Amino acid sequence: MTAPLLEVEGLRTHFLTRAGVAKAVDGVSFVLQPGEILGLVGESGSGKSVTGFSLIGLVDPPGRIVGGSIRFAGQELVGLPAEQMRALRGRRIAMVFQDPQATLNPVLTIGTQMALALQAHDRVSDRAAAERAATMLTRVGIPDAAARLGNYPHEFSGGMRQRVAIAMALLNGPELIIADEPTTALDVSIQAQILHEMKALAAESGTALIWISHDLATVSALAHRVLVMYAGRIVESGPVGAVLRAPLHPYTRGLLDSLPAMTEPGRRLRQIPGTAPSLLALPPGCPFAPRCPRADAACTAPPPRVDHAERRALCHHPLEAAA
Amino acid sequence: MSDIVQASALTRRFDPRLSLGDRIAAAFGARVETRPVRAVTDVSFAIRQGETLGLVGESGCGKSTLGRMVAGILPPSAGDLRIDGEPVMRHGRKTTTRIQTVFQDPFASLNPRRRIGATISEGPIAHRLIRRAEAPAFVADWLARVGLDPAVATRFPHQFSGGQRQRVAIARALAMRPDILVCDEPVASLDVSIQAQILNLFLDLREALGLTCLFISHDLSVVRHVSHRVAIMYLGRIVEIGPAAQVYAAPRHPYTQGLLDSVPKLRLDAEDVSFQPIAGELPSPLSPPSGCAFHPRCPRATDLCRAQRPELAPHPGEVAVACHHA
Ligand SMILES: Nc1ncnc2c1ncn2[C@@H]1O[C@H](COP(=O)(O)OP(=O)(O)OP(=O)(O)O)[C@@H](O)[C@H]1O
Ligand SMILES: Nc1ncnc2c1ncn2[C@@H]1O[C@H](COP(=O)(O)OP(=O)(O)OP(=O)(O)O)[C@@H](O)[C@H]1O
Ligand SMILES: [Mg+2]
Ligand SMILES: [Mg+2]
Repeated sequence: MTAPLLEVEGLRTHFLTRAGVAKAVDGVSFVLQPGEILGLVGESGSGKSVTGFSLIGLVDPPGRIVGGSIRFAGQELVGLPAEQMRALRGRRIAMVFQDPQATLNPVLTIGTQMALALQAHDRVSDRAAAERAATMLTRVGIPDAAARLGNYPHEFSGGMRQRVAIAMALLNGPELIIADEPTTALDVSIQAQILHEMKALAAESGTALIWISHDLATVSALAHRVLVMYAGRIVESGPVGAVLRAPLHPYTRGLLDSLPAMTEPGRRLRQIPGTAPSLLALPPGCPFAPRCPRADAACTAPPPRVDHAERRALCHHPLEAAA
Repeated sequence: MSDIVQASALTRRFDPRLSLGDRIAAAFGARVETRPVRAVTDVSFAIRQGETLGLVGESGCGKSTLGRMVAGILPPSAGDLRIDGEPVMRHGRKTTTRIQTVFQDPFASLNPRRRIGATISEGPIAHRLIRRAEAPAFVADWLARVGLDPAVATRFPHQFSGGQRQRVAIARALAMRPDILVCDEPVASLDVSIQAQILNLFLDLREALGLTCLFISHDLSVVRHVSHRVAIMYLGRIVEIGPAAQVYAAPRHPYTQGLLDSVPKLRLDAEDVSFQPIAGELPSPLSPPSGCAFHPRCPRATDLCRAQRPELAPHPGEVAVACHHA
């Protein structure tokens, strides 16, 4: 086995707010190989974006990484001086943000922004930069890319802006891309094209990808492995097919069951009762217990780790893992 | 079942708003955009009493524009919309409360400075469906029906989660006692488990109140789940319409086929998945292609398609398709 590209161990990122400490990420561990596509799914507010921000060193106060380790290509990123983190970011690790507005500068043309992103890390002529930018825009499905370099962000539709943000992330050929809900705002037809490109990219250039999404269908079609987050923790992980076919954790089961495709048209969907707990006041023990059909008295204690072949879950009463 | 909603040849153009300077410049031959956006063109359909018609299509194809015309919020440039034979608008103004709307972003559609109890009761009071003194009990009843604690009536929108705000928006629309509900992307911003709760609420209330619905979404599996019939839109026109089961099982228009092929499906096997994107981009509504608007992207296009626009023609099984080769 090759050396992992990324090893995250016991990562904890907390927000110190007036109302208390929000444990947005609370003990997250996983490993990522070069060329691997990892899906990160879970309830809104479960800490997916904050996990991504932690990896690229963009957690803003009142948030802070309060524990754990992030090793990228052997180098420890937690506690890395800001200068060195900035040198990595955009070049070896890139992020596509949930909101493309966060990436694009409204007062610069797309061509200028892409050239600047290239020239920040490398000595590239303006002409070579423009060519490189046009190639990337074409890959994400912007027609007539060379001509669009002179356009400003507002001259693109929302879906096109999202694709430009993805092209920017690809620009420097990073080893790791963190993509936060990159296709939720896109049409299915454009989405298929982006997924196709992302898959090809990982296979051809060995770029590893963390794909944050609550679209289980997209994740199942794209990722090799999946992490399921709930209330700041990874409650289940494993190969995507195995996890979605027969989840160990009742929360994963609940997520799958609530998809429209899982119920006959027109019938009530099976929904997970209740709402996600406040991160300020997590119940002792398993945070999913108040909503879990399998919960009993045992669940007031912290859930044990269940290992099943390549899969893991945090649960007192895991479901049967079918073959 | 009789038709309750009748849309005939609905058309909506948006003319560019030109300043005096632009107009003078244009008159002297400067390149100023003077062409109108043809958002919706010649769309006719009917919705039967108690039926949900799903409306899907790519971003920018005119779904919201059509939805707003059906809801009586946006006057059509041509054509008209009737409920039980009565026009929904007169002199550019909505004349009925029988039709109400739920939008995608409940935060944008709820007044941030108004307590949600007042938000729910203001319409019914203004239209004399209830008296002011009845409002507190009325609000409590509606909050309970959409699964919220009646005690939240005094809160402001920002104090709610996305799913809760969508419940408030549904309560506000239904409190007007409509017969017809237009839902424009009501679950697009919600995650899977909240989406399931809202869709269930929609199904329950639709049944309990006998609602007729136009349900707009870009999520094909959501539309499949809630719709009896579906209409597929492309560049301002309906290209296929028919019973949902039929259209999803055997799509006839090449665009519908492409759309359904490009949806990622939940894959439980380990097999490698290839995606089938539709080639090309949605063309500009400023200058729609000649003939069939889909021809530049269509694998089956011929000279006929480039020259002549196909009419929406009936096919077996209550389906209508606008394609020369369907
Ligand atoms: N600046 C902040 N101050 C306080 N709490 C914060 C802050 N930013 C994030 N949080 C908390 O961290 C938790 C995790 O947020 P995060 O954005 O990672 O969720 P997510 O899983 O990405 O959700 P979504 O699917 O809605 O994007 C949230 O519950 C949020 O309340
Ligand atoms: N007020 C307006 N002024 C000018 N053009 C408009 C206006 N409203 C809509 N349009 C244009 O009409 C076309 C159809 O827009 P519409 O919002 O109906 O699309 P849609 O199918 O709802 O897209 P989406 O899925 O992105 O919501 C687009 O080209 C849009 O830019
Ligand atoms: Mg997020
Ligand atoms: Mg719309």
